[in-house]
Amino acid sequence: MFGILVQKELKAILLSPKFAVTFGICAFLLLLSVFIGISEYNASVKQYDTGKQLADQQLREQSSFRMIQTKAFRRPDPMQIFVSGLTYDLGRWAGINQISSPRLRSSAYSEDPIFAVFRFVDLAFVVTVVLSLLAVLFTYDAVCGERESGTLPLVFSNAVPRAQYLLAKGIGAWIGLVVPVVLALLLCMLMVILAGVPMTGEHWLRTGLLMLISLLFFTSFMVIGLFISALTRRSSVSFLVSLVVWVAFVLIIPRAGVIAAGQIVRVPSVAEIQGQRDAFARDRWNLFRQDLDSLFENRRGAEPDSMTEEAMWTHMQTQDSMRRAIELDINAFEAKLYEDLSRRRNVQERLAFSLSRVSPASAFQLAAMSLAGTDLDLKRRYEDGLMIFRTQFVDYANKKTEDSPGGFQISFSSDKGMSIGTPRSKAQLDLTDMPTFVPPVQQIGATVEGLLVDAGLLTLYSLLAFAGAFVAFLRYDVR
Amino acid sequence: MMLEVPGAAMLEAVTLTKRYEDGVLALDHVSFAVKPGQIFAMLGANGAGKTTAINLFLNFIEPTDGEARIDGIVTHKEPLLAKQRVAYVSENVMLYPNFTAVQNLDYFARLGGKTGYTKDDYRSVLLRVGLSEDAHNKRLKGFSKGMRQKCGIAIAILKDAPAILLDEPTSGLDPKAGFEFQQLLDSLRTEGKAILMSTHDIFRAKEVADIIAIMNNGRIVMQEPASRLLGQDLERLYMQYMAGHTAAEAVA
Repeated sequence: MFGILVQKELKAILLSPKFAVTFGICAFLLLLSVFIGISEYNASVKQYDTGKQLADQQLREQSSFRMIQTKAFRRPDPMQIFVSGLTYDLGRWAGINQISSPRLRSSAYSEDPIFAVFRFVDLAFVVTVVLSLLAVLFTYDAVCGERESGTLPLVFSNAVPRAQYLLAKGIGAWIGLVVPVVLALLLCMLMVILAGVPMTGEHWLRTGLLMLISLLFFTSFMVIGLFISALTRRSSVSFLVSLVVWVAFVLIIPRAGVIAAGQIVRVPSVAEIQGQRDAFARDRWNLFRQDLDSLFENRRGAEPDSMTEEAMWTHMQTQDSMRRAIELDINAFEAKLYEDLSRRRNVQERLAFSLSRVSPASAFQLAAMSLAGTDLDLKRRYEDGLMIFRTQFVDYANKKTEDSPGGFQISFSSDKGMSIGTPRSKAQLDLTDMPTFVPPVQQIGATVEGLLVDAGLLTLYSLLAFAGAFVAFLRYDVR
Repeated sequence: MMLEVPGAAMLEAVTLTKRYEDGVLALDHVSFAVKPGQIFAMLGANGAGKTTAINLFLNFIEPTDGEARIDGIVTHKEPLLAKQRVAYVSENVMLYPNFTAVQNLDYFARLGGKTGYTKDDYRSVLLRVGLSEDAHNKRLKGFSKGMRQKCGIAIAILKDAPAILLDEPTSGLDPKAGFEFQQLLDSLRTEGKAILMSTHDIFRAKEVADIIAIMNNGRIVMQEPASRLLGQDLERLYMQYMAGHTAAEAVA
């Protein structure tokens, strides 16, 4: 019985224009998205290579280790072809020097803001927006449409169990959508291979998992459509309800989750943090000046022989240690502020994602970005990697400076006054043992672990929606 | 009033009652029985309860009281078992418009548990119900109501169930097709099928039925073997019952 029902569903889908139209739309949009992704990836690789060459050249032209600086680049990853995520929002390089902390700069959107207006159309976008809509359109009239067209009474005048009928409807529609989508996806993979994108085994594994999570995602929307069709008696009503639910799940809830989290967990802006830090520093320096004044007053009232050079030197040393203590205080305060900021951001992020995950679209997007390594973790990974590299680089530069100080040196002496030292040699720096920046890699194990949550949620949504559809259909008046 | 008939009934309504959620009493303690080889015609105005009775036999709705039985199986207790023994033709047969007549027949025959039919079997049954051969492999999209009705009857024949429920089956059929349908019913009766038919067509009911029941406001107000009504003007009788006369008044 079940096989007969599924066969009929498939036959009905194959004979209807739905199948051809779906395949056409899927093939066109998916291929277009992958084509755009490959073009952008190739452009990024070109920029990356050029940038690195220029940075290497600039490095070789430097004459001293004392002021040596370089650039670290964010390496493009083939997975960004499918899920761009934050790729185009994050900076592509960071300056590495001994003075400031490294920060990723010059994102694709900051250079070409026009692209930020409509964003890139990637595979994840097509799946999230187009395939979910197609999935709903495949099932929104599965039950009510048959009732409306009058075939349902004839079907149920036979010994057809309702659960089997509903499951066959879902599976038939699912296969009817999966076949054109998978065909289109295979064409996309062929395009990636033909374009010579350097995909490793792990990339293919991630791509395979991405396909699986995509299937899981639009399955949830198909079942939601089925549920709505079992709740309504007219396909026009079902269509309207499905559309509202789709808009809510795809467009509203993901954003609402983030907005709600922003309201619930307040995260101060960087400017506020800077303001607090400056206020604290101002107070501390004012105190320092007051302390200095009182110190000076005490000294002025003291005996004249206390103003000897040695006493002055001790006085300067005291001042210096006080200054250093204040600087340490301010740095510790600033570190605490940033630590608190980071903690609040994490809490806000977790809350935002938890709230957003009420929607299958959010769960899919988060899973897809995590699989592609283009999620929020990309920024963290690079920031951590850059900090480690900067430490290595500064240590290297200091060590080299000690071994062979170059450049120029300004020194002050109470005996000789100010003097400027000149480089002993203008010979090219030997950079053979200089540490190089190794772009951080996301471990597949950690990715899969995170993926399980979203995959579990998508499965849960599908099961809940099917259970709802089943309960509704048990009470459905087939006349 | 229940007509006493000897032998086991294939279709049986026992004090069948249905009150809808809005309070409307659609069927009020209706009892009748249809034996194999009998045609039972239910006559009545719209809303008399004819379709409700058929829906109760198909378990599309559950009775408020009483039972509908098919081959002794209570439909609302064992619906799947009961449905294996009944075929159904609705007033307005709707099939899958993207399927051809043969494809529709194949699907519904298999749904009815008949998997051994060949394309020749489908052609032969479609010819039997009067659908011309050139329409057999055409999609139902362009079929008239009458053509669809013929396909529906063909599906019922293919199911080869011992009981057949016909809800206004001649609706949409032209006079020639109506006559052919009458002959078809005769042959099905000869095959031993128990047929329960609701109709507005008094003439057809008189011609084809073995038992005629007139329904009004959810009750059977008259139930007689057709043979007893041979000399009577059924149309006048029907109108009198509809006007609310009692059996004695109507017969007088």
